[in-house]
Formats: sequence, C-alpha cells, structure tokens
Amino acid sequence: MSADTSATSTGGASVIHDLGYRRYDGPRLGRVQIIRALAWHSFRAAFGLGRGAKAKVVPLVALVALCLPAVVNAFAMSKGNPRVVDYDTYTPALRDLVMTVFVAVQAPELVSRDLRSRVLPLYFARPIKTIDYPLAKYLAFSGACLVMMEVPLLLLYAGSIANVHGGSAVWGQTRALIPGLLVGLMWAVVLAAISLFLASTTGRRAFATGAVAIALLLTFTLAEILLQVEGPQNQGPQAVAVKGSGPGAPTYVHPVLYVPSLAEKVSGLFSPFTLFDGVRMWLGGTDPADGVPNPGGFGAVYALVLVVITALCLYGLAARYRKARLS
Amino acid sequence: MTPSTGSGVAPAADAAPGAAAPAVIEATALTKVYPGGVTALGGLTVTFAPGVTGLIGANGAGKSTLIKILLGLVEPSSGTASVLGHDSVTGGEQIRQVVGYMPEHDCLPPDVSATEFVTHMGRMSGLPATAARERAAEALRHVGLHEERYRQIGTYSTGMKQRVKLAQALAGDPRLLLLDEPTNGLDPAGRNAMLELIERIGVEFGISIVVASHLLGEIERICDHLVAIEGGRLLRADTIDSFTRASQTLLIEVEEGLAALHEELIRRGLRPTAYQRSLLVPIGGDATYDTVRDTVADLGLPLSRMEQRRHQVEELFRDPGDPGPDVARLSAPGAAASTEAADVR
Repeated sequence: MSADTSATSTGGASVIHDLGYRRYDGPRLGRVQIIRALAWHSFRAAFGLGRGAKAKVVPLVALVALCLPAVVNAFAMSKGNPRVVDYDTYTPALRDLVMTVFVAVQAPELVSRDLRSRVLPLYFARPIKTIDYPLAKYLAFSGACLVMMEVPLLLLYAGSIANVHGGSAVWGQTRALIPGLLVGLMWAVVLAAISLFLASTTGRRAFATGAVAIALLLTFTLAEILLQVEGPQNQGPQAVAVKGSGPGAPTYVHPVLYVPSLAEKVSGLFSPFTLFDGVRMWLGGTDPADGVPNPGGFGAVYALVLVVITALCLYGLAARYRKARLS
Repeated sequence: MTPSTGSGVAPAADAAPGAAAPAVIEATALTKVYPGGVTALGGLTVTFAPGVTGLIGANGAGKSTLIKILLGLVEPSSGTASVLGHDSVTGGEQIRQVVGYMPEHDCLPPDVSATEFVTHMGRMSGLPATAARERAAEALRHVGLHEERYRQIGTYSTGMKQRVKLAQALAGDPRLLLLDEPTNGLDPAGRNAMLELIERIGVEFGISIVVASHLLGEIERICDHLVAIEGGRLLRADTIDSFTRASQTLLIEVEEGLAALHEELIRRGLRPTAYQRSLLVPIGGDATYDTVRDTVADLGLPLSRMEQRRHQVEELFRDPGDPGPDVARLSAPGAAASTEAADVR
C-alpha cells in the first residue's frame, strides 16, 4: 500500500488519483432482482464458474460421469439394441455415488466459504432481508443439482430419439422421459436442502464436505444393511412387469403382486436415496428389485418423510442465518 | 483538500455544515438488552449531524450494537432510531440501500480478486451488472488499489484489505458510511493513510461518515463531531470545536517546586490540576498566560516548558479524581500526545 509516512492531514491525500467522486444516478435493483443476482452468482459457483480451474474439476468430472451412461446408450441403440438405460432410475448406483460427491463438495462451496471468510455481515448490510441469503443459495443449489440430474436424462432422450423411427416411438420416449425429469426434480430439491443445511453448520469446508458425505453414505448404508437383514425371504421379485405399448415404452410393475416385508418397507425410510426410489415406485416407477427397498403400502409415508426432512433442513438453514445476523 | 479539522480556531466556519442540515442519524431513548440480561445500550438519545462524526467508546461501550440497530439488523428493546429519515425497524431495507457498512473484523474471501469481490458486493447493493463493474473499478481507484485490483485478496497486506473493505462499502454510492474501527490492525503509517482516505471521502465526496473507534486521539483530527458513549449511555455529543474550546489548557512544567507553584496558582485564582510531572491550567484568556508567567517568576522556579495544548479531548471524559478503567481506555495517550506535539511546535 502507498502509505506516506511523512503525511500530515494536508499532505499525501492530494497526491492520490484525483478524478473526483461520481454519484450513481442509474436504476437500482429491487430485492427480488438482488436475490436473483445472488442466486445466479451462486449457481455459477456450484460449477466452479467464475472461480479458478481447480474449482471446476469436481463438478465437471461428476457431470461427465453422469452423462456417460447416456452416451453408451446412444451407442448401443445405434447398433440396433433397445434402450438400455431407464429414464426414471437412470443408473442408480452411479447416480447415488456421483450426486453424493457433487453435493458434498459443492454445497460447502456455496455456504461454508462465506462463513469462513465472515463475509455474511456484508450481505446482511445490503438492501435484502436476512432470509434472502439462504433462499438465494437454496434456489441456486437446487438449480445446480437439477442440471446434474436432468442433463444426462436429456442426453439419453436425445440419443434415444435419434435412433428410433416414427412419431409414436418418439412420443413413447417422451412419455418415459417426463417421469424421469420429475424424479430428477425431487432429488434436486431434497438433496440441495439437506446438503446446504449440513454445510451451513460449519465454516471449515473439509468438515462440511465430510458431514454431508457421511450423512448421505451412512444413512444409505444403514438402509441397505436393514434391507439385507430381511432380504433372503424376498429374493426374486414376484412382481409382474407389464410392458407399455410401443417400442421403448416404459415398463410398469404391478405392485399388488409383490408384497414387501415390513422390515424392507421400514429400511427404506432411513436414507434419502432409498426414499427417492420408494416414492418413485409408489408413483408408478419401475422396480429394479435388487438392493432397493420397495415401499409397498408405505409409499405415502416415504413421501411424507421426504417432505418433512426437506422442510426441517430448510427451517434449519433459515434459522442458522437468523442467528448469524445477530453475531 | 481543505484541512478542515486542522486549526480548530474558526468554529463558525467549521460548525456551519452541520448546524442547519437535517440530522443523519437520530436515536431516541435507544435501549438494547440482549437475552441473558446484558444491556448493550441503555436509553441512548443522540443526534448525528452530516459530516464526519467520531463514535467514541471503549470496547463493549455499545458501538457495534448501535451500528447493527442503525442498519436495521438488530431490533432495539425499546426506543427508536432513524437513519436518513428511515425508521430502523420498519425501513431497514431502505436504510441499507443508502448506507455503506465496513465491519470491524475480517470479512473478505481470500480466493477472489478485489475487482470481482467489490463488483459482486455492488450488485448486492442493487447495482445492475455493468454499473457494478464500473463503480467497483472506481471505488477501488478511490481507495488507492487501482493497480492491484486483479490480484487475489488473499495476497493483500492488512492495509490493502482494509481498503477493499472500504471500497465495497463505497461501491453502492452510499449517502452515509458506517465504519467500525477502520484502522484496526494497521501500523501508524497505514492508520494515517486510512484516516486521510476517510477524511477525503467525507470532505470531497460529500458522504456523511460515522467512524466508530476506541482510539479517540486518532480519529479526533478527522472528525467534525464527536459522540462519546460509555456503557451504552451517551457521555457527550458535540462538535469537535466545542470539545476543543472547552479543553484549551496550558501545560506548565517546572524542574522543581511543582507543589509550591500549584498552591500559588490556586491562590491567584487559577484551577491547576496535576498531570504527570506538570500542571494543567484551563485558559481563561490572555490574562492566564500573564498570571502563570508572573507566578513562576515570583517563585523563582526553573520553568522548563509552557505550552498551549490544542486539544486533549479525552480529558473531558476523565474525571480528574477518579479515572475509571473504562474511561482510561477511551484515550490513546501515545497517539494524542504525538499529534499534539507536532501541532503545537
């Protein structure tokens, strides 16, 4: 810095660049537009945009990994095979893992960073309400998760319709895609809420990443273990798969024919990922049968638990910043 | 640049800007009791005039709580505060639209450049993208960070970081700046540079400024007004000139016979007080100098020093009989003494 040691109150200052101060008379954005600006800024940050090259590695690798099955599918279909990847389940194991990594690494990027650098008072001193900060962050991260979920599906769709012929076949693909997109939306809004809340509890990014990853992996493992406990009795699903009309149409399962045990139904309540699958099946999605708890008659409970978890996380997120404002 | 606070001998000219203009901040019986029973503010009633105002108080005097209330971030337990005509409880957003805030502590992300950061904070102040970029560049230029603005903030010195903090407060074109301990952590040269910058923003940019500090001696030279609070209560609020005028004193130092001189001065109608190894005599007029000179001569004492102390504002806050620990911390004897010595000689 250009500190002038000999400066008195009349020296120095006149030396510094004297182009004068200009008032700003232009338009001022309102609260909603500021929230939008913050959300857009945070959305970009979720993919490392506007940051250094290192910040882009994880989101880019994650997105590419999620897109690979769609590319493989397009290749397979071009060789005359039917569609090998479902829209609503996509590739469950890959998606669970990659989304866990994505939210565990990127949610702290959005919230822990600001906590660490103690920049929050500057946001709260802006013409927005305290609640607007977590709101913008949540909108941004839900959007980012949505991109992670939907881009591979759209790629899958593009690859599929490129390889089918006739309007009805395209329509069949489109009808199968829509539930998939909705499943993606469910994942996005829930995972964003959980991961942002957990990440906002600490300013140490490593801890925040650990907290999110452990919470998601641990609960998933727990659900899987509980499923195994009762597993053998239900080996081999008795469900009847009913093929929809038209080539490439979705496959539906008649849940009535398959009655999961109570333990299986309960086991699925422990992890967001099994809850996603349960709700998806409850709403008529395919049952991959292996390693995924079938909610059976518990479907509505699964949905309710998801809603409650999301609501609690959002409440916790809002409360966390209400407290931060006063410190 | 005008040395507006330099002389202090033209009270009429100096007091003029603040006298007629409407108040920038008005607090009435402002009280804040935190949960747990800690009283941060206890019935504070004070008015801040336009210009540069020093908010003086020891750590824990209630400065930060007052600033948070003024920003509409903390609701007072009772009483009201208004900033630029907006009520702090109902008009928080309008206040924050026109007020720039520089917090006391570190608040900068290390891994972005100053330009990016100030631009972003400008957007958060409600500037459209292009305007935010332009004003960020301008604000950084005003604080003297034009060359280094593309460097990551993490590589900056403490002084440069303080300037970035000031720049982000300036970016939204505020009508009022609330600066909380802006010289925190700076070396003497850095302090001087920061104070000059603040003075320049106040005088040349025409932005009203409240500078909160616990170092009175340091900020008094850039302030038009002073507001002193202690324990959440108003100690005194006035223009710097009336502080100065009230504190015109003569410092007398003799090599021996201090006690005798003390008694003789009292006998001759002055009110000397012992200060370290010298005496302080309030100046009542030219006659005071004559009386002191005659007294010293009559007693035949070796006079080693006699000087007019231009301001020693912190003494106003110190009850000579009982300098409480809190009040003592208000002052910065070192900084005040050096400023003053330079001024007088």
